[in-house]
Amino acid sequence: MIDFFLILSVGMCVLVLFCLYRGTFGPGVLNRAAGISAIGTKTLIILLLMGVIYDRIDMFIDISMAYALLNFIGTVVLAKYIETTGEA
Amino acid sequence: MIRDSQDVIVKTLSRLLVPFMVIYALYVIMHGHHSPGGGFQGGVILAAGFVLLVVSHGLEQTRKRLSEKAAGVLSSIGVFIYAGIGALCLILGGNYLDYGKLSKLLPVVPAEARSLGILGVEIGVALAVMAVMFTIFLVIFTVGEFPEDDRSEK
Amino acid sequence: MIVKDVICILFMLGSFFLFTTATLGLLRLPDFFTRLHATGKGDTLAALWSLAGLAVYHGFTLTSAKILFIAVFLFLAQPTATHAISRAAFRCKVQPWTLAKGGEK
Repeated sequence: MIDFFLILSVGMCVLVLFCLYRGTFGPGVLNRAAGISAIGTKTLIILLLMGVIYDRIDMFIDISMAYALLNFIGTVVLAKYIETTGEA
Repeated sequence: MIRDSQDVIVKTLSRLLVPFMVIYALYVIMHGHHSPGGGFQGGVILAAGFVLLVVSHGLEQTRKRLSEKAAGVLSSIGVFIYAGIGALCLILGGNYLDYGKLSKLLPVVPAEARSLGILGVEIGVALAVMAVMFTIFLVIFTVGEFPEDDRSEK
Repeated sequence: MIVKDVICILFMLGSFFLFTTATLGLLRLPDFFTRLHATGKGDTLAALWSLAGLAVYHGFTLTSAKILFIAVFLFLAQPTATHAISRAAFRCKVQPWTLAKGGEK
């Protein structure tokens, strides 16, 4: 069971690298914002899987909840800034 | 940046989520000694709740709840709590921030007095961090926009 | 005990498949609005299934209740962030991709 979670974590890390391509080369700042939001969601799941592998899930739940909060706020503030200055 | 977002979805969900974020920040502050958290992390999450309120409902509505002057007063209160507990331990006959001497004041054993002392210090740190983060956000995002220009546009 | 493990493995495999499909959409779809569609819906559902699988794995404890709190928050917050970005794109006059332009953006 632990080996299954380990292989899944490595697979999710490969998916994060693919999303990083859109975060770097996306034409314009909006594509980059969408890529970073996707990376944030995948990072949350990787954190919880790390907690299950090391058998200390009580510690990693608080960390992942705080990261979900900060990811949401970062995306909303960036969207408002782009809408106010008016450049794509 | 300081006007409200005129968007029904973001406004409604901010009204639902900001109390939840404040409660979660208080949980992180209180459980600092046996899970990741403590004063700094809880203060940052508390400030993030107020930032969400500014972004979704505008600066005027947030000023009615927490003005810049109140944020300045709160940061001073936080530092005062931190330094005050340290000075209290000094007055009661120990070193600075030696929480064991607080057992002369409260009816507990010295080990529990240490736990209560660090909790009080964490609360002071969280208040100070929240006020400073909120002030930094307001100063950066209202640069070049004076209240007179806003009133003249209306 | 063995039923719990099987349910957890099924949820995690479904969530991994959805994450892969959403990332493939983010890379290969032709326009910003279509990419936002892929990542806004696919990532949210995959994260919800993954959190449900981990909650089933731990049984009826306080840990599972906390994981379900994260799931409820993610269910409310992630579509709001997607809506905020797409509204910003609409206000900045980003043109959607249509087939009439000869299939090129």
